[in-house]
Amino acid sequence: MASLALAQDPWHAPARFTRPDATSDEGGLWAMMDREEAKLRKSPFNLRAPGLQAYIHGIACRLAGEHCPDVRVYLMRVPFFNANMAPNGMMQVWSGLMLRVDNEAQIAAVLGHEIGHYLERHSVERLRAVKSTTAVGQFLGLFGVAGLVGQFGLVAGVSAYTRDNERDADRIGALLMRDAGYDVAEAARVWSNLSLEAKARTEGIGQPNPLFASHPPSEERESALAELGASYKGGEAREKEWQQKTAPFVRDWLADEIKRGRPEESLAFLTRAAKRSAGAADYVYARGEVHRMRAGEGDIDAALKDFQGAAALGGEPPETHRAMGMIYRGRKQAPEARTSFERYLQLAPQAPDALMIRSYIEELAT
Amino acid sequence: MRILLAAILVAGIAGCATTQITKVESGERVVGERLEIKVDGAWNLINTPLLAPAQAWTMEGLPIDQLLIYSGVKDGEAIRPQAGGAAPTSVNFRSSMQPDEIVAMFEAALTRDGSTFKLAKLEPSSFAGAKGLRFEYAVVRKFDNVQLSGVGFAAVRDGELFAMVYSAPRLGFFPRHQQRVEDIARTAKLRAKTGS
Repeated sequence: MASLALAQDPWHAPARFTRPDATSDEGGLWAMMDREEAKLRKSPFNLRAPGLQAYIHGIACRLAGEHCPDVRVYLMRVPFFNANMAPNGMMQVWSGLMLRVDNEAQIAAVLGHEIGHYLERHSVERLRAVKSTTAVGQFLGLFGVAGLVGQFGLVAGVSAYTRDNERDADRIGALLMRDAGYDVAEAARVWSNLSLEAKARTEGIGQPNPLFASHPPSEERESALAELGASYKGGEAREKEWQQKTAPFVRDWLADEIKRGRPEESLAFLTRAAKRSAGAADYVYARGEVHRMRAGEGDIDAALKDFQGAAALGGEPPETHRAMGMIYRGRKQAPEARTSFERYLQLAPQAPDALMIRSYIEELAT
Repeated sequence: MRILLAAILVAGIAGCATTQITKVESGERVVGERLEIKVDGAWNLINTPLLAPAQAWTMEGLPIDQLLIYSGVKDGEAIRPQAGGAAPTSVNFRSSMQPDEIVAMFEAALTRDGSTFKLAKLEPSSFAGAKGLRFEYAVVRKFDNVQLSGVGFAAVRDGELFAMVYSAPRLGFFPRHQQRVEDIARTAKLRAKTGS
């Protein structure tokens, strides 16, 4: 039914939910989520960025309509693509997702999808359907019960919902986007962007991304969402607003991305993101650093090219010059290494590795 | 890490033959074939293949504090093998690594479970008689959100990595044992390679 044109879709949001009886299975699930939410509030992974939190909560509210008072958004510094919404209204949005979306409409697509699961009460449906302890564990892990924000290597990749649930959530998310004035076509772009990373991983290391194990095949999902988008023209992407609001956090999120340990995915993402209008030098530097850390065949040359490119763009992170210095030092190009290290310390005199860098400069002078 | 620690603890409780806890008495000790250290005060050695190639010591018991000692990690060898066998390249030692890459390798090992790592200081330092590095760091451990402090020492000698990395809760435990760890690091020296 994903291809049903948005204008003809008869779906309507249900009325606001009341708290279920504490003795019911649903009441038990809510109580468990309440406990997790209490932990989430105190978690050191909680971004605690009031401005960004209010902005994203505002987007969620535009989508959730009359359910807005029941939605509570938590931004978590976890470098994987994920968002989820528990049946009690607790919503988590991870930094890996925020880093990857290009505009407000794309984050709205993901939030709308999660709100779709919430409005259709898919989690309660699934809780009643799963029988084995392992399946219950996986299901609860979706909301972080398996360890606050979850065993995220698993949770980020495994959906506890059925493929039909996912299709419904996509369709409802598109309807919510339309009603909130967003460009619905951006929803398909979220998925096609993610597919680029999955493809790079499969081609690079021969292991598919587990994200695609229990979701509808990416092509099917992307084309269904594109069809929905085509059925409703209009709406805004709001790229500038998104880039402005997230700009103060991008450098930290990129530092996490560099260290994520999935270089093939990171390189695919960073190559795409380097074309963004804002902060190009940061993305180019980050791509170079992923190359340098991987240090495979051709990586060091590619890294150096990116660092030089980032410096040429201007506004590059100080670490660009440290990384260049490291490469030159490794290649015994002393004058270039020294110049790069000096530039790094000039830009970041209080850097935690300043003592080490100074020792390199002294060593290179001899 | 959570799974790993749980496995260690469960195996320890069950008396599994592959995990033994033995006391490390004061005095001179040899880790691996070549790394000699002098220990003042008793430690507990957690003898488990799950943390290989490191030898894991603890004062307070895992998972409170852990001192990982690496002796002669070879080029291409992983400092933290995955349960499934293959390790990601980010935890594989390369003899050509520069200090920041060595720190990044330890960071990758310490954060594999989603814990966060923040470098506080990286400075040149001699270790085991070789030119090396000393680093300080902070970790927020994923499975229980505990904030840890840590200190590490490393040097590459004859293409092999020798290192010590100690982590403990920031409040109480780390300050209690840091000096003891620094003292051990200061005593580290290498035996000549057999046959050389």
